[in-house]
Amino acid sequence: MSPESTDFLYPFIEGDETDSASLLADLTRSAEGKWAQSSGLRAQTLERCEDQLRTVAAAMAERFAAGGRLFAFGNGGSATDAEGVAQLYTRPPAATAFGPRRPTPLPARSLAEDQAVLTALSNDIGFDVVFSRQLIAHGHPSDIAMGFSTSGNSDNLLVAFAEATKQGMLTVGLAGYDGGRMAADPNLEHCLIVRSDSVHRIQESQASLTHVLWAYVQEALQTAAAPV
Amino acid sequence: MDFERFRAGGCDGSSRFEEGGIAVSVTSAAEEAGTTIGDVAEDLARASLALARRFHAGGTMWCASPAWPFHAHHVAVEFVHPVIVGKRALAAVTVPPGADVVATLRASVRPGDMVVALARADDAEVADALRRGRAWGVETVWFGHGPRPATGAADHVVWLDGDDELEASERFVRLYHMLWELTHVCFEHPGLLKADPECTDEVCITCSDEGRLAEVVSVEGDEAVVRTAEGTERIDTMLIDPPGPNDLVLVHAGSAIANVTGKEEISS
Repeated sequence: MSPESTDFLYPFIEGDETDSASLLADLTRSAEGKWAQSSGLRAQTLERCEDQLRTVAAAMAERFAAGGRLFAFGNGGSATDAEGVAQLYTRPPAATAFGPRRPTPLPARSLAEDQAVLTALSNDIGFDVVFSRQLIAHGHPSDIAMGFSTSGNSDNLLVAFAEATKQGMLTVGLAGYDGGRMAADPNLEHCLIVRSDSVHRIQESQASLTHVLWAYVQEALQTAAAPV
Repeated sequence: MDFERFRAGGCDGSSRFEEGGIAVSVTSAAEEAGTTIGDVAEDLARASLALARRFHAGGTMWCASPAWPFHAHHVAVEFVHPVIVGKRALAAVTVPPGADVVATLRASVRPGDMVVALARADDAEVADALRRGRAWGVETVWFGHGPRPATGAADHVVWLDGDDELEASERFVRLYHMLWELTHVCFEHPGLLKADPECTDEVCITCSDEGRLAEVVSVEGDEAVVRTAEGTERIDTMLIDPPGPNDLVLVHAGSAIANVTGKEEISS
């Protein structure tokens, strides 16, 4: 990955490099190593979070059964995670090895997708409130607030969790590193943490947590709905 | 709270896995069928070098994923706003979700750009956009899973086995994170950011038997104005079935020599 430490002594060498074969071999090895790291972190994370995932899924299933909706949010790459969650819950794949057959579409929305709302709130008030103000407008005690962060420190997530808690919503957070401020936030009931210090590896395992959590929610709902 | 337990226990469970070698099974779904990247790593490496060369020359990367717009957004933000402070911001943009991919790209791309798509092989809209890549002068990368697209469907086909959408979705995130990382590694090798010497044949039109791919802009009788990687030009169309606007044709020495319908494979 990193350039040789002696490169500064020979600045002309890299510039004159013309054979890409050894670079391609390095890149290939690097990809193999990172893939293995990501796989290992995924397995560790899912194992460590198994009980917590079941607990959160049961709580979420209760909310959905009571007519609740899921509001997902995050910044940057985490905003795209929220967008993916909204798609997964509302338009699940017809069949997947992750969940039960014929998963139930559930009401979910990303609070990071509407550029008119995001820019209006940011411009008029400030970026810290872009999610919380939407929860003020839409939130109901039966709803679920799910925030994605890698650092665990995003101000606008913490403000949103505070608003969600105030309204009686279920709060779920996904964080990385040691969980950051989210881990100690009294307004966040459930914090799923990917123990890594690489933003990329954190997001990769957060995607896995998200998928397994969704599958467990589906299982919990189907179990609850099954005739006694 | 639950997390107190995780915190107290320390974060690193890796020793367990390494020492015990126990296969962890959370659910059948949570267990991966294979934990190695396989041949995909080399395809990814080649795609990364190709993108680095295009970025280095000033190209813009267009990301499209009609089925999974969140992936397209993620790829673009990864390149524009790097997670590692100090890495250069690169020109990447998402084709807006819901937009006509072909029409948007036709109007937007410039020769030297890149199109990165995430889609299954049966996504007709993506397939149609990528088959036009050479006429538009763009480098194309197609990420997908399940059945593979036809040979030559894109300059770089980075493909995952397996039909499960969620499993593939997780692996896409890994692949495009690595695409970003490897692209930046290439920037540390400025000598390799020029095109490979072996590729120079491609720009030699007159000595090559191969036709260049062109997209018809307008038709006037037995002539047409077409768009190729080199710009627009007027060609003779007498040798082929009369084409219409947006049709693809092969051009050689000022004449269209074949209609390209998408049924045939485009040779690389």
